[in-house]
Amino acid sequence: MGAAIGAGGNSKHDVNVELNIVPFIDLMSCLTAFLLVTAVWVQIAQLGLKPKGKSRDPSMMREEEEKVVLSVLIQPDNIWVVQSRIGDQQSIKREGDPRNYWKIFQDTLAEIKKSAYFVDRRDIELAAESLSDESKVIYQDIVFAMDIAKRVGFNDIGLTERDSLTAKPQL
Amino acid sequence: MPVHPAGPRLYRSIKFEHLGKGVIGKNRASNVALNLTPFVDMMTILVTFLLMVFSASGEILRSQAGLEMPIARQQGAIQRAPTITITEEAVKVIIEDENKPVPEMTEVGSIQNLLANPPASQRIEALHEKLKASWDDIHNNIAAKNSKKFSKEELAACAREEEGLPPITKTDSDGNENVLTYCPEGLVLVQADKNTDARIIGMIVNTARLAGFGKMLFAVKYDKEMTQ
Repeated sequence: MGAAIGAGGNSKHDVNVELNIVPFIDLMSCLTAFLLVTAVWVQIAQLGLKPKGKSRDPSMMREEEEKVVLSVLIQPDNIWVVQSRIGDQQSIKREGDPRNYWKIFQDTLAEIKKSAYFVDRRDIELAAESLSDESKVIYQDIVFAMDIAKRVGFNDIGLTERDSLTAKPQL
Repeated sequence: MPVHPAGPRLYRSIKFEHLGKGVIGKNRASNVALNLTPFVDMMTILVTFLLMVFSASGEILRSQAGLEMPIARQQGAIQRAPTITITEEAVKVIIEDENKPVPEMTEVGSIQNLLANPPASQRIEALHEKLKASWDDIHNNIAAKNSKKFSKEELAACAREEEGLPPITKTDSDGNENVLTYCPEGLVLVQADKNTDARIIGMIVNTARLAGFGKMLFAVKYDKEMTQ
């Protein structure tokens, strides 16, 4: 039985109820074991982007419009932020604490987003350039740049190669 | 050693006499009632917590040796799609096959070889072939509105895409706008090690693009603290 009434005392009017919690504990143990096995401990998310350039799917091709394009080039020692047509380019040195130069990058993008050219726009081009095995840009750097761009409001990220950037930095 | 008949041994072979001797010289009952209340409390809290973090969507990404995902402050949910996996050693592609119970994983290149001898067109041939076949399969199933292969939401997202409407988005707790469901046509998932060279990423993006995959989802680990 699930419960025994008056099991503990001798009095005829004993109204104490002793619940049998054994099935409850059994169920709890099974549930805990199952949930522990199937638990997802790492929260995995995604960063969406569009590859830029020619494709076999014509709907993927982006229209080339006469507009200012914001291009970002990540190099091992620099991050370039360039705006086409107006010829504005900024270089952020990748020296010291990474948090510092990524903060500068975030502030730079936020400033550009406020400008008249980009206030209503969400597109940005991104490229990364490794120079050699010793001097390379890693995937985490690309993800940081994309993450910051999305947070600032540039949700439409196009990833491409350095030579395919609309606005290349003038070194 | 003598063999005894089967039966309960408690309080006979192991007498637990010490349990009944709370005070020396006094005899007490040897039955001990365990207090189960804290145990049940703890179990309840644990079950509640685990139920909250439980995900019924199943495992989309497989954990791989030599692959540590990058961190980002994004909460967009990943979606089932052909997956390109890049570990420290190799590039692999995982594509679901209706006739096989487990998705097929194929190695399409080694990192060392790709960096030493990069393909002239920046296209990994073996990966391109696999992705092209997968794109055709997905395209045909989308055209046939195969509801066994794709969910209602995915087919609805494709219909929106066809009409030229933007995908439905949702703003997360960090204020980022995330697409709720992508149309599976041209969608590929990239799961790469955080130290992968940008040249390899470039080759992967280029190959996927040429195979018709115009929407890429980079799998990341959500970490709010590290990306402050």
